[in-house]
Amino acid sequence: MDPQKFTLAGPLVYAIAAVGPGIGIGLIFAAYVSGVARQPEANNILRPIAFLGFALVEILALIGLVFAFL
Amino acid sequence: MSLTYLASSGVISAEESISALVPKTEELIVGLLGFLVLLWLLKKFAYPQFEATFQERTAAIEGGIEKAEKAQAEAAAALAQYQAQLADARGEASTIRSEAQAERSRIVEEARSEATAAAEQVTSRAAAQMEADRLAAKAELSAEVGRIALDLASRVVGEALSDDARARATVDRFIADLESSSQEGNR
Amino acid sequence: MSSTIVAMAHTADPGFVPPGIGDFNYPPIFPGTAVEWVTKPLLASVLAAVLVFVFFTVGARKRALVPGRFQFAVESTYTFIRNGVARDVIGHGFEKYVPFLVTVFAFIAVNNLFGIIPLIQFPTLARFGFPLMLAICSWLVYLGIGIRRAGFFGYFKSVMFPPGLPVFIYPLLAPIELLQVLVVRPFSLALRLTANMFAGHILLLLFTLGGTYMLTNENLVLKVLAPFSLAGAIGLTSFEAFIEVLQAYIFTLLTALYIAEAMSEEH
Repeated sequence: MDPQKFTLAGPLVYAIAAVGPGIGIGLIFAAYVSGVARQPEANNILRPIAFLGFALVEILALIGLVFAFL
Repeated sequence: MSLTYLASSGVISAEESISALVPKTEELIVGLLGFLVLLWLLKKFAYPQFEATFQERTAAIEGGIEKAEKAQAEAAAALAQYQAQLADARGEASTIRSEAQAERSRIVEEARSEATAAAEQVTSRAAAQMEADRLAAKAELSAEVGRIALDLASRVVGEALSDDARARATVDRFIADLESSSQEGNR
Repeated sequence: MSSTIVAMAHTADPGFVPPGIGDFNYPPIFPGTAVEWVTKPLLASVLAAVLVFVFFTVGARKRALVPGRFQFAVESTYTFIRNGVARDVIGHGFEKYVPFLVTVFAFIAVNNLFGIIPLIQFPTLARFGFPLMLAICSWLVYLGIGIRRAGFFGYFKSVMFPPGLPVFIYPLLAPIELLQVLVVRPFSLALRLTANMFAGHILLLLFTLGGTYMLTNENLVLKVLAPFSLAGAIGLTSFEAFIEVLQAYIFTLLTALYIAEAMSEEH
């Protein structure tokens, strides 16, 4: 095949893989923000939980990114 | 690998493209050793110092708080003492005041009784004077009235009765009658 | 080529060459010698370790009760992990793991920040080997804690058969949990770090290389649009700084969570 060709397959793989985590991260931080807004003193308890959820969701998008380059 | 990419370094093969994900042995070793040596060194030289500093700081702050508490307690004691003194002074003042009040009323009472006594004395003296005057006047009057009556009677009878004891007794009886009748009339 | 959806052919001029995985393969600094294996990321990681060591030792040396500006910065970094991560997440008995967590955080943060520091400008941890080693370190730490607490079989029993679930779930749950603890956690830790740094670095390369290419192009429209691309690169640089520190925090936080889970009696 022609090595000069630039394909969009990889970017598209990542684009699809980013949809779900995008929604998920939005939901997580929405819940975190409203939780802190309701009870500001719970911030220290909620922050690790929010970032844990964020990390677990984010890894899905990052796996998609890796597959886009394979 | 059906997809091919271009990199700034030029066209790369599939093996090369995947090699970024396959860790190189030297990277593993250097990364691990670097991290472990760093961890060991910091554990030895840096972190105990931090903890010690934090403890010293905590102790210093606690000492400061203790000092402040002591000063506060001292201030509170001084305040209590001052207030007690103030209360003492206030009580003393009030006793002095009440004593003065009693003294005043006593003096007033004394003066009043003295004045009353003096007034009574004056009154009684005046009454005695009046009585004496009255008695003197009465004695004078009775003598005068006897003489006048004798004069009158001698003129009426025409003879001198002045030296006669009988005549004098008559006059006395007459005056006594007069007195008793006048006293009855006063009564 | 069935998976090729769109192919854009560049004709005479090779045109703009987008950054790719090749940009992460550095040539040896001393080619043809005995130390051929020394590359820029390797040197950068050693430099990061030295910098972290100097940062903490100099900050800890003075030990003033009323800290100066630098000492305060160093102590804040230490207390941020000590209180914000170790104490809040692990709870009772956290003091033992503070050194590990602080070192992990500082080492990752400095390595990541190399991505935006001039002349270095490469996030070392975009090379998969480094984060993999760090992840294996934290993997060994939490496995060691769990095994020391409950014994080898006891620990894996508590991992695979958490109490209080209906029996028919266990055949499904046990392999997943075992895989989770043994494989998924360390690899997701390492992969998260690498992929974030990788993506951030590619993004920066794209904006800067693209801006340079547009600026040097004869096409007037591209020339006019080039400053926007370069401005985007500058804006993304500060965004990357945030992401780089955030990823270091997340790595530390997850490690602390795994340690806390291994320490707790019930799984």
